[in-house]
Amino acid sequence: MENRPAVVAVGRTKFGEHYGKEPEKLIEEAWLVASNECGIERKDLEACYISDCFLPITNKLGLEEGFLSELTELHVPMETTRSSSAALSTACHAIQAGVYNTVLVGGIEKMTDRWDKIRDDLMLLEDPWSYYAGGTPESNHELLLRAYIKKHNIMGENLEKLNVALAQVSVKNHANATKNKYAQYQRAITINQVLDARKTAHKPLGLYDFAPISDGASALILTSEKAAKKLCDNPVYVLACASATDYLNYTAREDLSHFVAAEIAMKNATQMAKTALSEIHVIEVNDQSTMMELVSLEDLGFFEPGTAWKSIYESHLNGKNSYETKSGRLHVNTNGGLKADGNPFGATGGAQVFEVYRQLKGQAGERQIISIDNSSPKIGCVSEFEGFGTKAYVTILGEKKE
Amino acid sequence: MSSEPIERRVSYLGDRLRASRCQSCGKEYFEVRDYCSNCGRKSYGKMDSDDLFYDKGKLELCTFVNEPTNKFVKLSSFVYGIVSFHGGKIRVPARLTDQLISDSKDVDLTSLEGREVVPRFRRRYSVGKNDVVPTISLAFTLADEYYPHQEYSVVAPSKEYEVPGVVGYGVYISKFRIKEAGLERAVPFIDEDSVTAAVEAGKLALIQSGVDSGLIGKIYVGSESNPYSVKPIASKVAQVLKLGEEDGDVQGVDAVDTEFACKAATSMFKDACSLVSYPRSGVKYAMAIGADNSQAAPKGCPGGELDTFVGYGGAAFIFGKNDVIAEVEGWYSCTSDTPDFWRRDGEPFPMHGGRFTGDPAYFKHIRKATCKIMERFKLKASDISYFVPHQPNPQFPVRIAKELGFRDEQCSPALMINKFGNTYSGCVPAGLASVLDIAKPEELILVGSYGSGAGSDAYLLRTTSQLADKQKRQRVNVKFQAENPFIEYVDYTTYRRLKLGM
Repeated sequence: MENRPAVVAVGRTKFGEHYGKEPEKLIEEAWLVASNECGIERKDLEACYISDCFLPITNKLGLEEGFLSELTELHVPMETTRSSSAALSTACHAIQAGVYNTVLVGGIEKMTDRWDKIRDDLMLLEDPWSYYAGGTPESNHELLLRAYIKKHNIMGENLEKLNVALAQVSVKNHANATKNKYAQYQRAITINQVLDARKTAHKPLGLYDFAPISDGASALILTSEKAAKKLCDNPVYVLACASATDYLNYTAREDLSHFVAAEIAMKNATQMAKTALSEIHVIEVNDQSTMMELVSLEDLGFFEPGTAWKSIYESHLNGKNSYETKSGRLHVNTNGGLKADGNPFGATGGAQVFEVYRQLKGQAGERQIISIDNSSPKIGCVSEFEGFGTKAYVTILGEKKE
Repeated sequence: MSSEPIERRVSYLGDRLRASRCQSCGKEYFEVRDYCSNCGRKSYGKMDSDDLFYDKGKLELCTFVNEPTNKFVKLSSFVYGIVSFHGGKIRVPARLTDQLISDSKDVDLTSLEGREVVPRFRRRYSVGKNDVVPTISLAFTLADEYYPHQEYSVVAPSKEYEVPGVVGYGVYISKFRIKEAGLERAVPFIDEDSVTAAVEAGKLALIQSGVDSGLIGKIYVGSESNPYSVKPIASKVAQVLKLGEEDGDVQGVDAVDTEFACKAATSMFKDACSLVSYPRSGVKYAMAIGADNSQAAPKGCPGGELDTFVGYGGAAFIFGKNDVIAEVEGWYSCTSDTPDFWRRDGEPFPMHGGRFTGDPAYFKHIRKATCKIMERFKLKASDISYFVPHQPNPQFPVRIAKELGFRDEQCSPALMINKFGNTYSGCVPAGLASVLDIAKPEELILVGSYGSGAGSDAYLLRTTSQLADKQKRQRVNVKFQAENPFIEYVDYTTYRRLKLGM
């Protein structure tokens, strides 16, 4: 591919509850981290792509571009999307088309300002008919699990292992977050805590299976290949951006046991990046629930459908923080995932890219993954959803292969 | 805040569970579609409309919701899942209703999966007091419990009568009851109200009569607990039950709500008969429904004396001249301005005149109307098989029956007050239905309704030979609902909570 866009700097805020900060303050904070890193000033920006899912509802901010313009004192083109991956993808297309050289891909969300109503908003936007029938943001994840169990005929001892595997996802993500100063929950949890929460609720998934609601912002600075090379020696290129779409009404989908959109997006992304799964050892997936991490790993091709739980269960037995897949060892959600790092919708994808960027650059500190050859990983992957598997985005980042 | 056009569209689709089917490939869709994605452009305009309203579904997957979204908080906890229809061709999200879950440990989710379920027309969720009341049929109950699945098939009429009469009827009583001092009363589930009871009763009447809903030219709904001061229940019933000729999303039917305390529905029986008899009306059938979530202030508050007797339910009667099961021989109505029971606009509960509701009100009017009609037809009490009086409490109907010379066995089959409570507008219609459930051909039935305010309608009905046939067509008859093994009893506190609704 000609003119690969590259991420030259990343920034983010801590995720969590930011009672005292307006959305503007959060994006500024994230921007400053990125800007300091590469020395790009706001006046260097030729366009801004900003993502937020709820801001008009949660903070009564309708024209997000307007407040960003006021904040940056820029009059450049700005566009709003719902997720960081969507913003990144749109920005990449513009750079590849040669329209811009340097753009900002920002993400922002402030959910806790509306904590009392956010579940209604979320569910109504995500799947209106399910909302009308009484569905909650959690219930579709539980139905996904039920559908998975039924489809793959998992029972008895295997079902117990699957349940522990799902708990392990959460335990692993919390453990990773203890090494991430930006994470919402920087504390470890145990398998029993996860299992007990389910027992108390008498539900297939419990409190510790779900990502929280969060405030936060992320900022990525994206440039053309030429510009990137001037800024640094080995830029992190966006090797592929792919997406796919599925029906809004989950019940109307053909297969309820996984997300076909993620499968399609990954297939297209690996093709676009000319990358084999075996080259990917670090990945950030959208674990809105532990079930979503499990099923994503299958949809992205790292495991055969109905089998990911086995390897995750093994990792629990071995006390490992990574999974053994058919294409090698895979480190998933090294930042703590949505579960422990936090999930401010519009900024979530930015934080995922932030993490993969740090890993590829060897800047992940305590979380750093070391390949067999003692170097940092070369290729990383980010998978993000909008809605309940309604939109799936896959971004592949890494070294440019000639 | 509400958004009425959206509300209208969601109700239009969701109340009836409207669906579409492609004529070429047979693919089915929940919601109305103009074309099929398999067949593309060539299927445009070639989609059959269908609905799942009278269908039976299967609960494919389910989970437990114990932290509902804000609008469902009053349900506290419920089973939520996915229901499939037509062998999996259509799947919809689903809430199981009519389940009071005190301890979620009692719910075995896996044993519920695979069970057959029936869609029920209910309130969708809570809204503000100024908002449109949202409804939906994505609420389901298990088909092998209180409310079984019944098919609705139109039966071509075989006989035309000289005199109009009852062609079919249906009574709907909720699954929940409160039992106090030997008196059982029906309690609505929290998502039920007079509107949902009216629709359920009308649905059961259509099923039993086999009348084509498209031929019903008029619908009257009598109630004193309409959730709206302005907006008819009848329009909802007409749309959901597709009464009258369907043209786009408008039904070719005249729909009107009536109000006269407990005789709001029985008053219209004669109007329905007259309408179907008028040669130029073009109305083949008319439906009259009485439905109430009978209101009463809580015990211990002013007006709270009523809280010992009020029930919940609805009854629907279809009148016409074809395949009549009970001919309406005649009627007599009387009215006086007697303020024995009333509810001022904006007040949640009615007030009553204490002892004044007896002799100068209930007894005077029923006595007048029934005696007049018996005189006119030169009948003695012994000539009549059944007497159906209004039943505001267990004592009044027994006393008036005795006074008019009826023996116990002539009156007791109609007394549903001890089983369902006073269902206000639905009370006499339900009593009449319970008599029709057991009557034989060529029997005379005397009805004496009463409405506070005050007035009474007396009707004389004569059953026909076609009654037996239609009795068999209704499984969910009065006895079925009165003696159902799945009835659930609740305590007073729960009863008040359920009665106040979502």
